[in-house]
Amino acid sequence: METGESKKLLSIRGITKAFGQNLVLKGVDMDLCGGEILALIGGNGAGKSTLMKIIMGIYQPDAGCIFINGKEVQIINPSVALEECVYMVPQEPMLFPNMSVFENIIMGFHESNATLKARLQEIMADIGWQMDLTRKAITLSIAEQTLVEILRGLMRNAKILILDEPTSALTFDEVESFFRVVKELKNKGIGIIYITHRLNEVFEIASHVMIMRDGVITLGGPVEKFTREMLVRGLLPVDAEHKVENGSVHAAIDYEHLEPAFELKDFCGYGFNDISLKVYPGEVLGVAGVVGAGRTELVSTVFGRDKSLGGKVYLDGKEITGFSTAKILEAGINYVPEDRHYHGLFCISTIAANTTSALLPTPEMGNFILDTKNEYSITQRFIDLFRIKVIDQKQTASSLSGGNQQKVVISRALSTEPKMVIMDEPTRGIDAVARGDVYNIIHQLREKGVAVLLVSSDIEEIVQLSDRVVTVFQGRINGEFSKDEITVDNLTIASFGLTKDEAMV
Amino acid sequence: MNKIIKVLTESRWFSSLLFLIALFLITGAINPTFLSYGNIITCFNSSIVFILLAVGISFVIMTGEIDVSIGSTMGLSAAIAGSIAQQNGSWVMMVVYAILLGLAVGFVNGVGVAILKVPSLIFTLGTYGIVRGLVYIYSGGRTVENFSGAFTRFSNSTVGNTGIGIYLLIVTVIVLIINVVETKTRQGKYFLAVGDNYDGAILVGIPAKRTKLIAYILCGIFAAISGIAFSSKYGQVTIIAGSGYEMSAIAACVLGGISLSGGLGNVIGAAIGAVIMSSISRLLVFLGFSSEYDNTITGILLITIVVLDSLLRQRNVENARRERLIARSCSKKEIRKGHSQE
Repeated sequence: METGESKKLLSIRGITKAFGQNLVLKGVDMDLCGGEILALIGGNGAGKSTLMKIIMGIYQPDAGCIFINGKEVQIINPSVALEECVYMVPQEPMLFPNMSVFENIIMGFHESNATLKARLQEIMADIGWQMDLTRKAITLSIAEQTLVEILRGLMRNAKILILDEPTSALTFDEVESFFRVVKELKNKGIGIIYITHRLNEVFEIASHVMIMRDGVITLGGPVEKFTREMLVRGLLPVDAEHKVENGSVHAAIDYEHLEPAFELKDFCGYGFNDISLKVYPGEVLGVAGVVGAGRTELVSTVFGRDKSLGGKVYLDGKEITGFSTAKILEAGINYVPEDRHYHGLFCISTIAANTTSALLPTPEMGNFILDTKNEYSITQRFIDLFRIKVIDQKQTASSLSGGNQQKVVISRALSTEPKMVIMDEPTRGIDAVARGDVYNIIHQLREKGVAVLLVSSDIEEIVQLSDRVVTVFQGRINGEFSKDEITVDNLTIASFGLTKDEAMV
Repeated sequence: MNKIIKVLTESRWFSSLLFLIALFLITGAINPTFLSYGNIITCFNSSIVFILLAVGISFVIMTGEIDVSIGSTMGLSAAIAGSIAQQNGSWVMMVVYAILLGLAVGFVNGVGVAILKVPSLIFTLGTYGIVRGLVYIYSGGRTVENFSGAFTRFSNSTVGNTGIGIYLLIVTVIVLIINVVETKTRQGKYFLAVGDNYDGAILVGIPAKRTKLIAYILCGIFAAISGIAFSSKYGQVTIIAGSGYEMSAIAACVLGGISLSGGLGNVIGAAIGAVIMSSISRLLVFLGFSSEYDNTITGILLITIVVLDSLLRQRNVENARRERLIARSCSKKEIRKGHSQE
């Protein structure tokens, strides 16, 4: 044991955690003292949220131990974490929208209202905040909701405060005043774990920094010891350049003479702004960016799931701006959604019904009585083409493995023979073999001249598959990379909102 | 004084009260004979069964669930109370049996919904059938009648010469007590919290499952108690007594400002809603409609209010989501620009 261990608020030693065969945390160590702001950064899927959920007792670690104030604790559920003075402010605050601010803060306490009110006022005076306690939570801005969540934590005497990307939904002004608040908390001796995607914030507010990648801490220590370049290097996979090859052996696309299949001009919507891009027939355009950058909002708005706020959408030169989803399907765009369980599969329907469901409105499936023969042959074509492992077509979709389910969802999207397919996280949560199959499907599409818009949080996947890549940062395109510029490093740097000069790798 | 006005106008039950007064005034404007003290007090007196049912189910609706078995529970309890009354049995026994019955049905419902996580409409539809079946078995398919005179006379007794029924007085006191419990105690707030944000409630340490279970038990007990009032008031209990009452009780809650998605409303609103529901048939008579229109007009009223409520809620949720997304993607200047354009 190190000396001074007992002075540490929180020590984590050798935490590992696996979900199925997927090892998410591979022996993580972490220390936090009072009055420290520890910035935790890392790309998508690095394991940050899993680690925080373990500290909060929402998940149980497979191995390793957690010490609070030098004493080993078993955090078996969130109540234990609350008792140990740990409080997490989730990224989306969990308030009771119909209750007043005061009711929200005192909910779950057992003391009398008067005592609680006195204590709350003391805390607020102490850190110099003012807030109208009678307002209903539904009227609060996100920044104010975050403050209410913090007050909830302070009322529980939180000594360890976890802030999960607290600034991701704040405006510029709000961020400034929010930072003042966080600094006040720091001066009060509270230990803060601050999860963020924004490197600028690290230097502005943190006292310590830690970078996670693939379930391990790649570097960590006092902020003064690091420069921005060092942080960026920590985010990048070791010798990634050699590991991931651009898998496309396909002839380069003749951009000069081809007309784009799909085009966005200054497209704006909820969660993104001024997006202009083109996708050519037979091209895979990768869209990279961190979670919350606005990628999913962009593609679901293109697909007519939300109102667009400006700009134009063209398919084969024809304007399709503001079409409903049914019209967009008819025009020739289909969508493989991010979450196959929520938006993809009809779980208790047969595979055949799932595969042909997008064709139901078309005459191909029969005019009134369904053409079951055609249903069978279409489904069989996809089962053979994509090597979907099934016993027979009458199996329910929920009985398939994740990878095969995903193939069924993709089959459905392709059954309408679209001119462009939008794939949002096509390989999330599926095994390596199925992943390879999905990649093959994408290659096949490219050969057939279908345009593919590929959204993925897995940068290596984007590098492997794309002919061209755009990166999205805070709702805007901040970089475009032609085939020979597509590297994990370039895309990672841009995803974090930096330019190559800034990163100077 | 200003403070009182502010509290009143912000309460959802206050608009229900205004709606009730408006209904009375409109009816009175069309047919002035309606606006007599006797008529109005009768409207209140005859609503006590609905008030009890609505108060009970309001707990369940506040937690965001539903219970359609209350009509059956009321029917069974009424039949039991009736057969006790036939033998000139005591009130205490009726109340004890009613509480035990309500407790049992409520407990089963609560376990099914809160712990086994069966959708509440389906589960309570099942208990609705079971309990209704028990009414048939218990009464052998016959109407329970010929109660002792004291039992039925009691329902007609009033407080002095005011015309206010003794039941109305008891029920009013119960509603006021429940209101205090609901607004001033921890458990009372838990009902709303669980309906408002179930996961959020668990995160701050509220026993969410237990709260739902308690809501169902209270709902069952109130339904059973309303059965005693029912059989005392009508003097006979048929095998279908109380069927359809669950819809009226749910409608009463909605009319009283309790949101069907949970988290909003209070028991006074439910009581006022119950008065509206039970007065409608009376009002229709004074307006010259025959009673065949009852169900249709009640249904239209209910759907109108539920649709409005649902649209408002969807708009709020959607606006909040969009605001968050805009904040995430824009810089400061653009937000200002966006606002000035609007």
